Amino acid sequence: MRYILRKVTLFIITLWAAITLNFILPRLMPGSPVDAALGKLASAGVPITNAEKAAVEAQLGAPHTSIFVQYADYLRNIATLRFGTSFSFPNQTVAETIGKALPWTVALVGTTTVFAFVVGTLLGVYAGWHRGKFGDSSVTVGATFFGAFPPFWLGLLLLYWLSFKYGWFPIKGGYSPGVTPNWSLSFLGDALDHSVLPGLTLAITTLSGWVFGMRNNMINTLGEDYVTFAEANGLRSRTVALLYAARNALLPNVTSFGLMLGAVVGGSVLVEGIYSYPGVGNLLYLAVTNHDYPLMQALLLVFTLSMLVAIFVVDLLYVRLDPRVRSTS
Amino acid sequence: MKNLPNLRSVAACACAAALLAAGASACSSSTAGSSGSTSSAGGTLTIQGDTGNPTLVENFNPFTPSTELHGTYLIYAPLETVSTINGSYTPFLATGYKFTNPTTLVYTIRQGVRWSDGTAFTPADVVFTFNLLKKYPALDTNGVWSQISGVSASGNNVTFTFKAPDVPFAATIAQTPIVPEHIWSSIANPATYANTHPVGTGPYTLKSFAPTQYTLAKNPLYWDASKIAPTTVVFPAQATSQSTNQLEVSEGQFDWAYTYLPDVKATYVDRDPATNQYWFPPGGTIGLFLNLTQAPYNNVNFRQGISLALNRATIAQKAVNGYMSPASTTGIILPNEQKWLDPNLPGQGVVTQNRSAALAAFTRAGYTLRGGKLMGPNGQATMTITLPNSFTDWAAAATEISTELGQVGIKVSLDEPQYAQYSQTTQAGTFNAAIGGFGGTGIPYNDFDLALNSSYAAPVHTPTVNNFERYDNAGVNQALGKLAASTSPAAQQQATDKLETMMYNQVPIVLLYYGGSWGLFSTKHFTGWPSASDPYTLPTNYNYSLLTVVTRLVKA
Repeated sequence: MRYILRKVTLFIITLWAAITLNFILPRLMPGSPVDAALGKLASAGVPITNAEKAAVEAQLGAPHTSIFVQYADYLRNIATLRFGTSFSFPNQTVAETIGKALPWTVALVGTTTVFAFVVGTLLGVYAGWHRGKFGDSSVTVGATFFGAFPPFWLGLLLLYWLSFKYGWFPIKGGYSPGVTPNWSLSFLGDALDHSVLPGLTLAITTLSGWVFGMRNNMINTLGEDYVTFAEANGLRSRTVALLYAARNALLPNVTSFGLMLGAVVGGSVLVEGIYSYPGVGNLLYLAVTNHDYPLMQALLLVFTLSMLVAIFVVDLLYVRLDPRVRSTS
Repeated sequence: MKNLPNLRSVAACACAAALLAAGASACSSSTAGSSGSTSSAGGTLTIQGDTGNPTLVENFNPFTPSTELHGTYLIYAPLETVSTINGSYTPFLATGYKFTNPTTLVYTIRQGVRWSDGTAFTPADVVFTFNLLKKYPALDTNGVWSQISGVSASGNNVTFTFKAPDVPFAATIAQTPIVPEHIWSSIANPATYANTHPVGTGPYTLKSFAPTQYTLAKNPLYWDASKIAPTTVVFPAQATSQSTNQLEVSEGQFDWAYTYLPDVKATYVDRDPATNQYWFPPGGTIGLFLNLTQAPYNNVNFRQGISLALNRATIAQKAVNGYMSPASTTGIILPNEQKWLDPNLPGQGVVTQNRSAALAAFTRAGYTLRGGKLMGPNGQATMTITLPNSFTDWAAAATEISTELGQVGIKVSLDEPQYAQYSQTTQAGTFNAAIGGFGGTGIPYNDFDLALNSSYAAPVHTPTVNNFERYDNAGVNQALGKLAASTSPAAQQQATDKLETMMYNQVPIVLLYYGGSWGLFSTKHFTGWPSASDPYTLPTNYNYSLLTVVTRLVKA
């Protein structure tokens, strides 16, 4: 019980620190939302005038209050779950904006994370069991090769060959232009078609981490006495591999899987950007380029919260999974 | 403006027909009426639209230039549009204008025009719109009320009274979008109004909006509806990633795109040579802005030395693939504004590199080249050039400038922050040297005034967007005043010539090369696009050029 109490206290302190950092970090960026808005016009070659700057300042209602008042407002807003209006999406609340983007990212990144975890772990078990043989080296070399691809580069390659050259997949977006998201079958199929390339990019580049983690754990576990004992007992090699070695080797991978799930909502800025996917990664990029403090704060808060919750849950799960944790507390 | 190396080489050797077939199948695989498939069916015009990251924000408020969707320009007509090439007018809600004296401007309003909801449009709507800008300064993005003191209607005329003579300001008034009094008078806060059911006098009305694409339909009540060719205009959203946008343009999804493409002949034209065409006219001038409040940049000889030390042809080649030519240092954009150019200036005012002349100028400023270093009273001359890191063409130019100035012994370093910090530093006047844009309005007075008028030159640390190099020259102010007050073409030419000569001799800004305007057109469905042989406006689809172009299109 004391273990859990300590974890809860720690959770609350970490949460406050994260929330405060979320407030400070965006404001450390040089420049203001007004400069950023005018920069968009300037990069298009529109001549900017003092009059225009004054008008945009008035339109955005850029904050003039002191930083402490802003901080107090910010804390109050979080407590009441109101995040104000973003500069980039003036006609909807920040919560609505994030609410529209989040499902896309959770579906895309969540699915690919689970997929990469399952496939990568199985490949790792296979490579670890056949260590030093042909099966091991082909899996290891293959994982090294694909793991070395930077996601944005692989994304561009797939985009160029599979969309542009051969036209098998749409070039961009989460769904066809001109369609409003709904729950019809045709829309879901359309969305699936659009998510193949970004999903593939993410899965290929994250697979190798799971493969290596699992393979090395396997090799460690296979050296343990109980595995030798099981083998000496004449158990079938598949039983030894899966039930004796893999089951124990899996523990560290489960921890990182929990953390990865926490990071899922953070999306993938680069891959979502390349495919113009309507998820939170793209939204964060927009918020940063626009110096959109309300949106940035809310996004960072969602990211940190889900990460903290994931860590917290993994911590609690460990009480069940690992008897050693229980005994030391 | 990232290059796509694989796109360039592969597209050049690939069979264009096969690639196009691939593009077509990509379109037809999408479920609901995507751009490519519908445009072949009828009079649909597909224009590469606004950037939607991740999705478009529905906003058709014509007074919010940084967030409104570009289609707004086709919904709300202004009095007249003004060509960004040469300042010529195309009438819309007005039939013409005249200055009864340099401070009184009279616009004659077109009769028989109706709003898209059927209500009659009257001169009272024009007066209401301008008074709205006065009531809500947040809407007055062009600073109309800093120049005018009153607006009133009588009969078909609307009269604007100016605080001081400002004849070229007629263009700004002309391009103010006019909104209906019967709707906007009851809007509580027009500055944050998203206007999702826009009612305008333009040739198009909003038909449908989806987060990744919006569609406009021809307005049957438009006063000149018979001349409007496209029945539908579709704006699919652009991607965040420039490479993705370039692939889409290359694929031929648009009738009109505005995107920088490397090796445009191979990546665009050759993919459908019969219909694909491009026009990349200059749209402004890129220059090296020196902080004139600092030594040695406040010395005209030193500035001349820098101007003479630079090889503008090489800089233009490195910056924009040779699409643009070296700029005339007069501030006149050639060939767009050829008629304004003072013929007495040598070589159309283009300065060519001359190292010995540069060193002679530096000597006059008290700097001599010793042991590869340009030494002055306080040691070697140094310069830090500030530029935004996202502008890759400016970065390429700055790198070449630092090499060339290094050859005359100046120690140059580059400072490449985010745009927001760049604008803060330049506006505050705490920079050393900066790359920036000059002009682009199509009206020489506006270009010169915004860049050189000392009334904008705030003290250092007080931000100013215009004249941030802080030039202060009584002669220039006087010539600007004369140009602002003159209504006769001869007097205007005379005052412009004087400004050009001052730009050429005094070098307040070291102008380098022209900034490009990247128009990509397909004549498959419509013709009448602006081109080198018919340069009626810049090919920009994000300002009133959009209205000018779309109303001139004819069905192919």
